This record gives sequence, structure tokens and C-alpha cells, in this order.
Amino acid sequence: MFLTRTEHDRGINTFLLEGRLLQIEYAIKATKLGSTAIGLKTKEGVVLAVEKPSPLLDIDEQIGCAMSGLIADACPLVEHVRVESQNHRFSYGEPMSVVSTAQALCDLAHRFGEGNKEYMSRPVGVSLLIAGHDENGPKLCVAKAIGSGSEGADSALQKQYNKDITLQEAETTALSILKQVMEEKEGIFPYYFVSFPFPDHQNNADIGFCLLFR
Amino acid sequence: MALSRDWMYENNGGTCVAIAGADYCVVAADTRLSIGYSIYTRDYSKICKLTEKCVLASSGFQGDIKALQKNLAAKHLIYQHQHNKQMSCPAMAQLLSNTLYFKRFFPYYAFNVLGGLDNEGKGCVFTYDAVGSYERVGYSAQGSGSTLVMPILDNQLKSPSPLLLPARDAVTPLSEADAVDMVKDVFASATERDIYTGDKLEIVILNASGVRREFMDLRKD
Repeated sequence: MFLTRTEHDRGINTFLLEGRLLQIEYAIKATKLGSTAIGLKTKEGVVLAVEKPSPLLDIDEQIGCAMSGLIADACPLVEHVRVESQNHRFSYGEPMSVVSTAQALCDLAHRFGEGNKEYMSRPVGVSLLIAGHDENGPKLCVAKAIGSGSEGADSALQKQYNKDITLQEAETTALSILKQVMEEKEGIFPYYFVSFPFPDHQNNADIGFCLLFR
Repeated sequence: MALSRDWMYENNGGTCVAIAGADYCVVAADTRLSIGYSIYTRDYSKICKLTEKCVLASSGFQGDIKALQKNLAAKHLIYQHQHNKQMSCPAMAQLLSNTLYFKRFFPYYAFNVLGGLDNEGKGCVFTYDAVGSYERVGYSAQGSGSTLVMPILDNQLKSPSPLLLPARDAVTPLSEADAVDMVKDVFASATERDIYTGDKLEIVILNASGVRREFMDLRKD
């Protein structure tokens, strides 16, 4: 650890002797500086809750994401994945699944390094929660918190979350946890992502967004 | 003649038919490959299985059709790797349409009928023109004998009229066995009058238990 002073002149993609990539670790630290975002998955839908409205972006009708960290880093990634999602609809006449969308995002996130003009110069300093629904139902990486309050939020989630809670309960839980970990107590903007296990795919009327101001 | 500067296609003839039912789909084509007034072979399959739930039958220039099938199979493999699942029949239908339109200014000389089961297990048939215009229908015929076959299917399949409101699903209420018999009758009739149709009939039946193949002899003259 005391050697880090002299390691900064290595290339971005160069491993240390101990097998670590410094830039990646520092990037993860950068994401921990960001505002907290919480995601909860229930059988009826997924809830994403964030401190401010800007880190919430929709990717397609049925998929959205919450970010934490250097938001500006995530904007081109989200743009790219929005285009991928529409390309998929054009080619295959169907919405892209949540996992494939996340994969498309990740494909771009690790394109960094020197020597290749198309690559970014450094890793992105943002972490994302991608939530949505596809033919397998609502999807998120179970119950997760990212950002500065993530440790506190994660432990609170451990206690309060279980797979079978309803969407209503999940919203309340997400909000209360967010409130607990936030420093300033004003203005929470929860963003619902509501989906129902839909028996017939044509009925898109049930799927929508709500933005609540409290 | 194929490959002269001004005409790069051939028509190898043949007829393809597909019929969608409530929980099955029947896709059939004859096996004669012709050129002009000659027969190249009596035993050539015009049917290609693209996925477990989706089968393509094409008539026209078999050279282009072979290339089209390879193209679709490759794209399907990539899709499976990227998305961890097989393509559904409606997704393949859209892909085929895009693939055909991609060559709008030097088209595949292929008249396609795509048949299979949709995401809910119901039969679906998609019919195409050479540049990718497509429509989901309850039944269709393409190829040299299509004009002989379509009127019979219109008459005999008891499908709801497309003019009805509210729009009904065009799948036929016939059972799978009846649909297969119908296909055999229809090809026997087409063989009588169309010189490019004959030799043998290949029938592929898709249903919940999988894919089944049947053959029937047709007149060889």
C-alpha cells in the first residue's frame, strides 16, 4: 500500500504486482461519492428511488436506470444503450430484455485504455441500477443501494426487504431508507417503475411512469 | 441465364404453402428443382428450419435462397449468444423483412413463407414479397403454383374473413390432421396444372411437441 505514490505513472490498463488495477479501484471510489440510489424488486414491479431527479433516466418504454457518481460519465452510455434498444426493436420487432440492455451498457463501459482512438481514456466513474421488466417479469439486481449512503442503505435493506413484498410496501420502504441515509432532508423524488405480470403483451396501458414530488 | 450482365437470376420454380392453426403450423413445399423446361432434380428441399419454432419455405432462385438461409441462420446464432434465448417467430419475421429490404436495389429472388409458433404457442404464418414487405396471415402460398393454390385455401380453410370487425385472428379452426390433408389435396391439384410443381411433397408440422416431417409422392410429369 505504501508503494501507491510511485504507481501513478503506470498505464491505465497495467496491473500491479499484487494483481490490482488502480484506476478501476479509484473509479469505484468515485461512484461512492455520488448521491444514493436504491432499487427494490417485487413480484409486481420494480421501484427506483433517488435523491435528485437527474440521475433517473429511461432507456426504453420498459427499462430505466438510476445512476450514482459522475453522472456525466453515464450520459453517453445511456445514449448508446437507448440506440441499441431501438435498433433491437427495429431488427426484431420486440423489446430488448433487461439483461441484454445491461450487457449492451457494460460492453461500452470497459472500452478504455490508451492507443485506440475509439476508446475512452479512463474508466467511467458511475455505477448504475438498471431496472425494468421483460418476458421474465420485473427485473433488477435484487435489492441494492449505490452511492454515498449505500452501506447504511444496504444494511437497512437487509432487514426490511424480502422477495414477497408488494409494490406499495416497496415504495414506502425505499423512501424511508432513502430518507434515513440522506444528509439533507428536503425534496425526495421517487420514481416509480410500475409493471404488472402481463398476460397479454399487447396491452401496454398498464405500463407507465410516475414522478412524485414530496 | 444466370450471371449475364443484364439478368442475374433464374427461377427454379416450385410452390410453398403454410397454414396456421390454433396450436400448430403446417409448412409444405414440393421438391422439384427446374430450369426452363428441364428438371435439375426431383429431390430438393425448399424448407429450412431456422429455430425450434420457426420454419422458412422459399420459392424462386434457389441460389439466392441458399444465401438468404445462411444469412438468417448466422444472425440467429449471434442473437442466441447475445440474448441467451432462441428467436421467437415474430422476431425472425421482422429480421427476415429487414434482411430482404437491405438488398432493396439488388433483391434476393426469393418468395418466402415463414411459418411457426408465436410466443403464446399459437400458429403464425408470415408471407413476404421479394423486398421484405410482410404480413402476418392465417395461411399463404408462394411460388409458381401459388395462384392455383390460394383460391382453394380461401375457400376451404374456413378462416374468418379479413373484412370482419373487430379484426379476428386468421388462424384456421381446422384440426392439425385436417390441415395436413388439405395441404396434400391442394398440392395434388396444383401438380396437375403447374409444370414446375411435382415429384414429391415435403410437409413440416410444428406444434407444442416439436417438429415433424412427412413426405408424399406427387406426379412426376
